[in-house]
Amino acid sequence: MGLLSIIRKIKKKEKEMRILMVGLDNSGKTTIVLKINGEDTSVISPTLGFNIKTITYQKYTLNIWDVGGQKTIRSYWRNYFEQTDGLVWVVDSSDLRRLDDCRMELDNLLKEERLSGASLLILANKQDIKGALTPEEIAKVLNLEAMDKTRHWKIVGCSAYTGEGLLEGFDWLVQDIASRIYVLD
Amino acid sequence: MPILTSLGHSRSHQKIQPGLSQAKRESVTECATHSRRTMEDEEESLSSSSNPNHLHSDSKTLDPALQKKHASMLERLANRHQTRLDNSLTRRSADSDSSSSPLESTSSFLSHFADSKRSIEEQLARCRLTPTSDSAEVKTRLDCISSSISDLEKLVAEKSYFLPSYEVRSSLKTISDLKQSLEILNAELIPRKKFSFRNKAAKKEQVIEPKKDTVKEKEVEIRKPEKTAFAIPESPGFRHKTGEVLLSQFKGSEIGEFTISDLDSCEVRLLGCVRALFIHRLRKCRIYVGPVMGSILIDGVEECVFVMASHQIRIHNAKASDFYLRVRSRPIIEDSSSVRFAPYCLSYEGIERDLKEASLDEETGNWANVDDFRWLRAVQSPNWSVLPEAERVRIVKISNSDCRAEEC
Ligand SMILES: Nc1nc2c(ncn2[C@@H]2O[C@H](COP(=O)(O)OP(=O)(O)OP(=O)(O)O)[C@@H](O)[C@H]2O)c(=O)[nH]1
Ligand SMILES: [Mg+2]
Repeated sequence: MGLLSIIRKIKKKEKEMRILMVGLDNSGKTTIVLKINGEDTSVISPTLGFNIKTITYQKYTLNIWDVGGQKTIRSYWRNYFEQTDGLVWVVDSSDLRRLDDCRMELDNLLKEERLSGASLLILANKQDIKGALTPEEIAKVLNLEAMDKTRHWKIVGCSAYTGEGLLEGFDWLVQDIASRIYVLD
Repeated sequence: MPILTSLGHSRSHQKIQPGLSQAKRESVTECATHSRRTMEDEEESLSSSSNPNHLHSDSKTLDPALQKKHASMLERLANRHQTRLDNSLTRRSADSDSSSSPLESTSSFLSHFADSKRSIEEQLARCRLTPTSDSAEVKTRLDCISSSISDLEKLVAEKSYFLPSYEVRSSLKTISDLKQSLEILNAELIPRKKFSFRNKAAKKEQVIEPKKDTVKEKEVEIRKPEKTAFAIPESPGFRHKTGEVLLSQFKGSEIGEFTISDLDSCEVRLLGCVRALFIHRLRKCRIYVGPVMGSILIDGVEECVFVMASHQIRIHNAKASDFYLRVRSRPIIEDSSSVRFAPYCLSYEGIERDLKEASLDEETGNWANVDDFRWLRAVQSPNWSVLPEAERVRIVKISNSDCRAEEC
């Protein structure tokens, strides 16, 4: 394939970012995506399989993959790893009992070679619930400081209920991906 | 209520206002603009010359250093694009006829998908019709089918970024049906031993009772010397009780999450609304709860009766239990058996008002629309059923002091 035709193709895809949203079931992934997209969040069933949303965000087209987190279907996550620019790990900050599960699943994910280049946004969701751990506490429990130094990551507290924190998180993610891929170094 | 309303309406494609700080936004804008202009320029000049040194000959604003940067960025983009292309190409070895824009064509995907599906079905049929007593041979055949299914699944995952969502859904449904057929076939051919898909973490089935999961413990150990760096506070709840009646009345909506865990032979009554409810490790309990405005998560219950209303309900590891539910979305079960469902039947003074406040005043009929994540098929799951009307409790009346269940 000649450079010219490659460039034509790139022009179309140039501003596209592929974002994978994962996390335990009930963490709020689907609610977050719908909220960002301004859609109704009042009736959401647990996700069987996955949903894809295409959202125009700033100059970019985000292809957001929201994959179900039920235990039975976690083994399917790996089918979505390829070509991921940004990884969003959603945590239910009020689900104290499953924090260990949450950390284990995240650890496994980060071992994945195909995701090694992806920027990682951790959303400490459900901050509106009384008794939810703060993002700082979640960071400790997930031992984020021990993360591989080459990884670009950030943790942000948010609530899909009120919308608080979502833009901050996605702004960082898009900005970070853009600076890795598009910026002139 | 939605804070993002100012940012758009409910269309599926929409713009979100940049919330970046001024400085950040500028840097992104700048490089993005450059990159677009560069490509246009480039394409133009490329059509007359393919020498990369002439790429920006018409662009007066760029100095040579910047040009070099542009060129290297383009190279990165080209590489990224090429990788995506290559990854897609490797998946479609069977499909050779279309060379124009085959990767992005729904119909070529569908025909490829149909071919693979047929071939897997043939393999399944062949396996069933030509039995062999050689168990190693059977295993090889089943593994082979399993990996064909995995490949097909991967194909869908990969193509789904251009496929219409209906096609994605129906393809996924087909895949789960194929898996189910394989599991059934496996059960027929290799009785007893549970078969699992190749890359599935088969060892991770969780034991509900005491934590004996040594693998888990060890993995945690590697990255973390002590379990958790600080004490996790306990949320409000009822824990570790036997043979008691436990009662709580919530006023207003100041209550956040509530936990009910490790109870044996207890009765729990929650009056009023809560945001989120966590329930785990119960035996022989009766749980009566008012409206939950968020979700209920249940894990590890046996011989219990639940009467509850919520926006979402997830039930894991439940055995021999009855659920009287009102749910706005579809309740789901996972790793459960002998669970039965019926409509909500709780009554206490003021429940109508509470239900309305939590938008749960309407009967949606979803109590019977249960999804079994271990049984993703059109055929009814053997793990759950509708509780026969004759066996249902008609109404459960609770108050601060008294509880009465009226049988039919
Ligand atoms: N209070 C509160 N509830 C939330 C928030 N985000 C999500 N929820 C609730 O949490 C429950 C789970 O949300 P979902 O979006 O379905 O979670 P999910 O991560 O997509 O779950 P799976 O699809 O099963 O993986 C729903 O009842 C939501 O209403 C939040 O920020 N605050
Ligand atoms: Mg979901």
